[in-house]
This record gives sequence, structure tokens and C-alpha cells, in this order.
Amino acid sequence: MNLLAMMTWLEHRPFAIAIAESTWLFPIVETVHVLALTVVVGSVGMMDLRLLGVGSKDRAASEVISSSLPWAWSAFAVAFVAGSMLFSSKAATYYVNLPFRIKMLCLALAAVNMLVFHFYTARGMAAWDRGTPPRAARFAAACSLTLWVVIVAAGRWIGFT
Amino acid sequence: MMQQFSDWLAATFLSQLFAGMSWFVPTVQTLHILSIAVVVTTLGMLDFRLLRLIRSGPPLQTLAGNFIPWTWRALGVLLVTGILLIITEPTRELMNDAFRLKMLMVLALVVLTLVFQTANTREPGYWSASPARRRLGAVLGIASLLLCVSIVAAGRLIAYL
Repeated sequence: MNLLAMMTWLEHRPFAIAIAESTWLFPIVETVHVLALTVVVGSVGMMDLRLLGVGSKDRAASEVISSSLPWAWSAFAVAFVAGSMLFSSKAATYYVNLPFRIKMLCLALAAVNMLVFHFYTARGMAAWDRGTPPRAARFAAACSLTLWVVIVAAGRWIGFT
Repeated sequence: MMQQFSDWLAATFLSQLFAGMSWFVPTVQTLHILSIAVVVTTLGMLDFRLLRLIRSGPPLQTLAGNFIPWTWRALGVLLVTGILLIITEPTRELMNDAFRLKMLMVLALVVLTLVFQTANTREPGYWSASPARRRLGAVLGIASLLLCVSIVAAGRLIAYL
């Protein structure tokens, strides 16, 4: 069974049909998705801007990260569940949609970027916690910010294609 | 009267120009959502502190000093992008009940934020000075959170009414 056939199978599950057929279920789940993603982008952006030396300059980088991360992860969990529900309602259509694919690719790249930062770049954070982060950290932050802007843009474009 | 104004606006050169460019609305909406992310995250984090759901981190007035300037900048971008969207599709916005409700709630949120900020600037620690002030702060925090959520919901529902 290929992936497209799996998508067709998915969109014929009862819960997927319920979302697709109901007048208000899709807008409600979509609102939850948008609300959650604003918190993801806002809290990730806060960490990125601190690492770039643009925002929260009087707070330690580690403090900005530890206070923003719980927001980012809990909101991401909500956005992921709500997004999966939206996806299931028209799975085969979204699967072949170009902006959707760009969005998923950028999400994967953002995850890789985050892992590299977490396991390599952030190890020496004690040395620059209150000062200007090194080039590698600023690069990671710029990549993250760019990727999340593209994720939001691609997400918005799905609705126009 | 509003319908006549909408019709007039829709016939203007600028409206026709924007409406004729298929990338214009999704691009402006993307900027709009990114700015909402800044407003919702900064205010949401401050509201959680006012509600004492989060007690760690720097003092509230320090956090507010960091966040609120970004909130106002983002609100400025929201005003500009919002006006551009109205110019492009006047009837879709101006004649829409969800849009009208959203504008009232934005106004209320701006007033609440001004109250919060003014008290904070005049007297650092204002919101934690006494049990009565803490209670008042908590009421302000709940109202602000509810408004943020409702504004995003109303904004999304414009597309469905």
C-alpha cells in the first residue's frame, strides 16, 4: 500500500469524516491550531531573539530558554494534535499540496536545527550565558527564526491552494 | 452606510491593485499571524505571572519592561496589516460580525494593557504590593487571557461567517 492510498484510508476514518462533514468542527479545531501555533512561534521567537542578542538582553540566555521551553513544547503538542485532526479530514489533498509539503519539510529542518543546538552548541552555554552568544548559536537562532516564518507562511498558503 | 463605504473602498485603485495580486492576502495574513504570535505570547506570559500560575523568573516589572515594547510594536504591525486586509477585501471584513466583535475586543485588550503598563511604570511592584492588588492583577490577567483567545477565535471565524 503506498502513502497516497494510506492518506485516502485515513480520510475515511469516522473521526476524519466527522471533521470534514461538520460545519463547525473544522473552524473550531483550526482556531485551536492557530492559537497554539502563535504561542509556539512567540516562545521560540523569544529564545531566538535572545540568542541573536536582539531581545531580553538583561536576562541570561539559559533563563530565557528555561522559561520559554515549557510554553513552546506544550503549545506544540496542542498544535500537533489539532493539526493532525485538520490533516485527517482531507489527508490525500494535503499530502499532495506543495505548501503543506514545504511546511512539513521546514518543521523537520527546525527539529534538526534544535537538536544540533541542544546537543552541541548549548553545551558551552555557561561561558556566554549573560553575554553575546557565539556565532554558532546566533546562526542556529537565525535558522530557527527563518524556518518558523516559512512554516507560518506555508501554513497560510495551504488555505489559498 | 458601512456597506456604502465598503463598496466605495472596494472600487478604489489601491483595493483593486491589492486584490489583483494573488500573493498579497496570504503574505499580509502571514505578517498578521506572526505579529499575533508576539502579542499573544508576551501578554500570555505576563498574564500567567499576574495569575501566579508561574512564580519563577525575573520580577514582573522587569519581564514587563522587556515584553511590553514588543507587544506595542507588534500591535502597530497588526494595525497596518489589518488595514491592508480591509482595503483589499472591505466587505469581507467590515460587514462581518466576527470582525466587528474582534475590533471591540482588541480595543478592550489595548485598554487593559495600558492600565497594566501604566501602573507598573508609575510604581514598580504595583501588582504585588498587597493582597488586594494581587487580586486585581489576577482579574486583569484572566480578562487579558480570555480576550487574547477570543480575539484569535473571532479573527479565524471571519473566514466562516
